[in-house]
Amino acid sequence: MVDWLTDSWLWLTHNWLYVVVPLVVFLATYVVGLWARRVAYRAFNRWAVGKWQGSQIIIQITRTPFIYWFLILGAFIAIQISKLDSAGKILADKILASLFVFSLTWVVVSLSVKILKLYTGKVPRLQTSENVIINIIRIAIAVVGALILLDVWGAPTTPLILLLAAVILIAALSFRDLLANLYSSFQLAQGEQIKVGDFIKLESGDSGYVTDVTWSNTRLRALDGNLILVPNSRLVQGTIINYGRPLKKATRPFRFYTRLYLKELTGLSASNLAGLANLIKKVPDSVIYYHTHHFLEEYHYLTPEPANDFALWISDEFGDEVLGEKLASINIFDFLSIGALRSRIEGVITDYLSKKPEERTARDGREFHFIKSVSFIMPTSYVAHDLREFVEVLRQVSIDSLSYHIFEARLKLKKGVNDFAIWIEECLDDKDLAEKLAYLDPYNYTLEGLRSTIIQVIEKRIK
Amino acid sequence: MQNEIHLQSRSRLKDYEPVVGKSSLEELKMLAAKFSGKIVQIINSTFVGGGVAEILEHMVPLLNQLGVDARWNVISGGEEFFEVTKKFHNALHGNREKISSKDLALFSEVTQRNLKEMSFYGDIIFVHDPQPVGLIAQKKNVGKKWLWRCHIDVSNPDKKVWKFLRSFIVDYDAAVFSAPNFAHPLPIRQFLITPSIDPLSDKNKELDSGTINSVLAKYGLIPDKPMIVQISRFDRLKDPLGVIEAFKMVRKSIDCQLVLAGGTATDDPECTEVYSEVKKQAEGNTDIHILLVPPESDIEINALQRAATIIIQKSLKEGFGLTISEALWKSKPVVASAVGGIPLQVKNKLTGLLCYTVEGAAYALRQLLANPEYANRLGQNGREHVKQNFLITGHLKNYLLMFLALDHNSDVIYL
Repeated sequence: MVDWLTDSWLWLTHNWLYVVVPLVVFLATYVVGLWARRVAYRAFNRWAVGKWQGSQIIIQITRTPFIYWFLILGAFIAIQISKLDSAGKILADKILASLFVFSLTWVVVSLSVKILKLYTGKVPRLQTSENVIINIIRIAIAVVGALILLDVWGAPTTPLILLLAAVILIAALSFRDLLANLYSSFQLAQGEQIKVGDFIKLESGDSGYVTDVTWSNTRLRALDGNLILVPNSRLVQGTIINYGRPLKKATRPFRFYTRLYLKELTGLSASNLAGLANLIKKVPDSVIYYHTHHFLEEYHYLTPEPANDFALWISDEFGDEVLGEKLASINIFDFLSIGALRSRIEGVITDYLSKKPEERTARDGREFHFIKSVSFIMPTSYVAHDLREFVEVLRQVSIDSLSYHIFEARLKLKKGVNDFAIWIEECLDDKDLAEKLAYLDPYNYTLEGLRSTIIQVIEKRIK
Repeated sequence: MQNEIHLQSRSRLKDYEPVVGKSSLEELKMLAAKFSGKIVQIINSTFVGGGVAEILEHMVPLLNQLGVDARWNVISGGEEFFEVTKKFHNALHGNREKISSKDLALFSEVTQRNLKEMSFYGDIIFVHDPQPVGLIAQKKNVGKKWLWRCHIDVSNPDKKVWKFLRSFIVDYDAAVFSAPNFAHPLPIRQFLITPSIDPLSDKNKELDSGTINSVLAKYGLIPDKPMIVQISRFDRLKDPLGVIEAFKMVRKSIDCQLVLAGGTATDDPECTEVYSEVKKQAEGNTDIHILLVPPESDIEINALQRAATIIIQKSLKEGFGLTISEALWKSKPVVASAVGGIPLQVKNKLTGLLCYTVEGAAYALRQLLANPEYANRLGQNGREHVKQNFLITGHLKNYLLMFLALDHNSDVIYL
């Protein structure tokens, strides 16, 4: 031990310059580092204050490593001018390079995370996916850092880079939808095309209110209450109509009902005009309603639609076009009750018979059979809170629903006006629009034509 | 249980959405939900052959998919029993038939045997056609709701047979007929529900031209020669001889071919006899093709209908005539007799042409062959008419509504 100390002292007395100079250089570099940090951060502060919030993060994170880097630089220079043999110098260089890569990786990771958090904090739709994005960034930087380290130590990195590239490619292909949706969510955020609360309609015909926009999809509440998940990439690539914020809310929502009907045979039949008129007087309202309305649905594809059953039977069976035309031309829209309509039909036939007594009888099997319409009324899942929702639901409901609210409610349920007009006047206080719909004669249209006409009238109002 | 069939769904309910629309299916589901925990027991006389079995084959699985516990049973009969019920069938159509007291006794005996052998477990027991009508005798023991579905044209029945059957029918809770003029004065409720076709079945689904051409080649039919087709089992009430007569009148002035294609049913022993008569009548005429096709040849029937220029259905009597709906669904112009439920499907000059005689049929055929644009227009209207009124989804809806109606007497029912 004493010998070793003696030898070292002797070596130091002969070579003190090779020790002191590197030490001085190392310390000088440290001092220069302290000075450089002060100057650089002052300049950076002057430039960045008020311009960018991220500047404080950069200062906070790089302040300490800045000095470490100068220490590493000082050590590097000191070793280069020292009397260390070349093998020692190479080893020392590698250790210093590794320390530098470690610290730099840590700084880049910390900076990226903090800056990302700064931005995701401002974009609510990205907050839910923040952890996923941060982890992806951490892994990516760590992998790059590891590759550089391996290179520093002379490990073969080319196969690893190729492997990594292949993994990235496979992952990109596997998660291409995910990535496309992620990218699309940034596009949506940047363009502010869709906001929570907007009413949108997609190319597919689906529509609803936007309730949430996440990094992968956008959630819509459809008008029947169902949740629709739309991938963000579809929103960016496809055509969407954004109607913006909801219109004036109704004081009470409109619940769409549907009416299905069953044909019940009454067992009553007429083989001549007198018998027909006589039974028209006696049969229940639902029988008159059936024979004056069923063709609207059963033959809704024909233009013009066939007339009521009484007119058709008289024209077809007796060839009496005059009486047939008189009955066909009775405008059902003029009547507010089935009783009044019944009296009119019966009146036309009896008036005709009083002028021209009719003896003809229908052929066997061609008698007029009285049929009753039994209505089953059910609520649907569709509800409208404003006119925009109302129009969109109207596009989707069945013609049974349309028939119920327009024809059945007005006449069979004795409301006198169709349900749509009543709701618009009572719950939206829009007398003008209500009046337009109330005076729209639905018997002039096919059911699909009627649907389109009502939609047009309301859309004009919305604009 | 004996004589019960368990069918697998061929089509999913969702598959009907492109055809009938989402809202129609939603309405069906809402109705079906009202039958949770209830069993609908369907009873008829055969699982195979004829329109009734064909409808039930598609309807029962669809009811099950909707969540309705529907089960299908058949009665056991035997050749003699079905000969008697075939006589009933003809007599109900208005034909003169010798029905002896021995026949009635056999009917009652088989009914008694089935009453003992079968179990009646349904909350709704839905009996189809005259063969099992006597099972109503069990109502006093099991209670529940009993419905009788008549698929036959009973507008002008043999009084003796009708009186015999009526004694059973009046004990049902309701009866169902396919056309208004089939109804009779009965002390029970009577509903009008038309039968239907399944647009996704092998008989009605879209086919490619390769399949159609291969069927034409198989039967030696010429693809580019106008083709008049009647599809129905070999039954005198379908008037196959009348069709041949009408065709011969048309053939004098227009080059065309006639195809009479049909099968047999286990409950119709007369088929083979009529087939021989028709073959004999067509003998020597190379433009007339008589094809006896087995029940599982739905694709072939479909191909023949799609290859047809005109579909004819010159029945003398007809319950409903589903072959008309099948033809209209394929947008084919139709010439059909104004009997039974046919006028419900063919509105004269709007969805097809109606005829009353052989001469009338020949005239209508000539009009359509000579005016393809007019024929096409009728066919297009016909398809829409079927879509709105005679598809299986509408049929299901009507049955469900009827089951519900049994518990209500009002004309407006809030569900």
